[in-house]
Amino acid sequence: MTIPIEYYLILSGFMFLTGVVGVLTRRNAIVVFMSIELMLNSADLTFVAFSSYLGNSIGQVFVFFVMTVAAAEAAVGLAIIIAVFRNKKTVNIDEINILKW
Amino acid sequence: MNEFYYIIPFIILAAGILISLVIEMYFTSSEKILPWFSILTFLASGFSALFLVNNVKVVFENMLMSGGNVNFFIFIFNLGAALVTLLSIDYIKKYHTYYGEYYILLMSSVLGMSLMAGAKDLIVIFMGLEIMSVCFYALAGINRNKLKANEASLKYFLLGSFATGFLVYGMALVYGSMQNTSLEYLFLNFTKFNTNILFLAGLLFILFGLSFKIAAFPFHMWVPDVYQGSATTVSALMSTGGKAAAFSAIIVSFASVLTVVNTNVFAPYFGAIAVFSMLFGSIVAIAQTDIKRMMAYSSIAHAGYMTIGLASGNSYGVSGIIFYLAAYTFMNIGAFGIISIVEGKNDTNLTIKSYAGLANKKPILAGLLAIIMFSLAGLPPFAGFFGKYYIFIAAVKAKLTWLAIVGVISSAISVYFYIRIIVLMYFKESEEDFVIENSNTGLLSVIIAVLFVILLGIAPNSVINLISYFAK
Amino acid sequence: MNLYNIIFYLFAAITLVSAFFVVTTRNVIYSAFNLLLTFFGVAGIYVLLGADFLAVVQIIVYVGGILILLLFGVMLTNKIVNVQIRTGATQILPATIAVGAFSGILISLLVNTEWKKVGTALPGASTTANLGMLMMNEYILIFELLGILLLVALIGAATIARK
Repeated sequence: MTIPIEYYLILSGFMFLTGVVGVLTRRNAIVVFMSIELMLNSADLTFVAFSSYLGNSIGQVFVFFVMTVAAAEAAVGLAIIIAVFRNKKTVNIDEINILKW
Repeated sequence: MNEFYYIIPFIILAAGILISLVIEMYFTSSEKILPWFSILTFLASGFSALFLVNNVKVVFENMLMSGGNVNFFIFIFNLGAALVTLLSIDYIKKYHTYYGEYYILLMSSVLGMSLMAGAKDLIVIFMGLEIMSVCFYALAGINRNKLKANEASLKYFLLGSFATGFLVYGMALVYGSMQNTSLEYLFLNFTKFNTNILFLAGLLFILFGLSFKIAAFPFHMWVPDVYQGSATTVSALMSTGGKAAAFSAIIVSFASVLTVVNTNVFAPYFGAIAVFSMLFGSIVAIAQTDIKRMMAYSSIAHAGYMTIGLASGNSYGVSGIIFYLAAYTFMNIGAFGIISIVEGKNDTNLTIKSYAGLANKKPILAGLLAIIMFSLAGLPPFAGFFGKYYIFIAAVKAKLTWLAIVGVISSAISVYFYIRIIVLMYFKESEEDFVIENSNTGLLSVIIAVLFVILLGIAPNSVINLISYFAK
Repeated sequence: MNLYNIIFYLFAAITLVSAFFVVTTRNVIYSAFNLLLTFFGVAGIYVLLGADFLAVVQIIVYVGGILILLLFGVMLTNKIVNVQIRTGATQILPATIAVGAFSGILISLLVNTEWKKVGTALPGASTTANLGMLMMNEYILIFELLGILLLVALIGAATIARK
């Protein structure tokens, strides 16, 4: 047990940044959504790392709730993406532009 | 007393959701029953909150707060949602898009908002925010065969979950720095942590997530598109209830910043957000031709005025924000209500020019809209004036006079585009010829909203006394 | 360098590399499969951190639920037959600025925080019982709310996706 907590936080920080990059740069709505999942996962990882190093279970309960919420969000999100695709035949967010951004 | 007694408003809403599901399933005439049933639910929940307002108590293992400000917020949310439901009846008929789920989602979103107002733990804020947001994502795209609505909901969903990512990450950092997620603990130990950079960064990320929902400046990109693309009635709820709920969550999670003197480390951030939102919202609104987009930019500007209250960080600021939110809820529901009545089938009559000559066609509607526009512009003696007045007073008391001055300048700019509508209605001849369908329920809802706008304008002191009495 | 460290670096590498590929590959299907690896890597790290219950939930919910849903999404919204599953990138400049700002915040966090050198005991007892007690006592309200959230998501998703 020699890994200091910083290493876990650096790992989750990198994951978070990767997610942010993905959200801002990708065109496909589904990939954007995957990047958002990465961000949520990195937040979960931060929670678990703190929870483990502080010896306190609250963080783990929190992560459980975040995961469930992410699943619920995924369901609604995919439904929206499919509805868009049905009417527009594309899921690239820069082609979806009747309303200007 | 049993703890369930204190969460009666929540229980009523949750029961309402379940019963509506059954009604929607078994009754073929649910289009006639459901709106009235949901109005009943909202009123029951709202008035039970008002009834319980003096029973201040923290229930369910320090998770939820009941009584005081919280119940006042719940009352506002429910009343707003009831008015929106009243508007929806004829709006849905006009578009022939009846989905029973619409009312169920409205009720659930109000449940989420109420949870955010009553949160005593970060997890409750998160759950409340998510319940509200998931409902709004679905509501924005409820007209699923309309491309604009699809697009609005996709944008709202992607940017909304992006903001949720920041919120959760911020909560993780706050948890790591204080080993707890309780807001009570945060409040009591704020001064202990307020030099801890981990803690501050966590709060900043939480603030990013919530700033998205209040539609403040750097996080405003979704606002015009979503308000324009969604059904007008949904925009009415999103711009009022959603904003109010996010503000209430900021107020509960930053309570120590706002009430304990000299702890407002976020004052520069709030100040910057306020200045940019006000000026950006007011200036860009001038250039709009679509009335819903104009209202969206005006909504960004109003988020800026309210953020001044956060920047000033004193109890005047908090009661000012609450008063402003109440006033704004009624003004905006009134404005969107009239837009939804004037709006024709297939998104017609939504430009600002459609309002030319409205005074001849529909004098009552024009009169009501004139009152609302005066109030939104912040002219006395309506509610909007006192909202701004209390906020600016709070800023001056906090020695942030410059912020109040920027606020006044921005209000002066915003007068232009609000008054333009009144000028169009009264002094211009109608260019397009169209018939505005009568909507009795819609008109009733707008009249109630305007009555509240006038009431809050004539007797603001009694209301603010009420709020500051409960704020203790 | 003991076994524990090696396992940590292995999982960390899997997580980071696959996360990197999620946002850089031009093929949506590859993104989805890299996401699968990321989720597995994170689950492995949960185990190292002594969160066995969460590791299993991570695999069940993310891999078994969300990822399958995403793959369905990819397949329903892309013309697989024509291999039109490529996507490009946009908004490089704002992304650079935003990422620069956030990495600044995160680095200053790492440098300026006094990290507690507590160190955990290796996972001995399972955390499941403890979590169960917490969820059914202190967090019972949230647990109920989760039910409402899932119901709402179900209604919302069904409403929107229906023809």
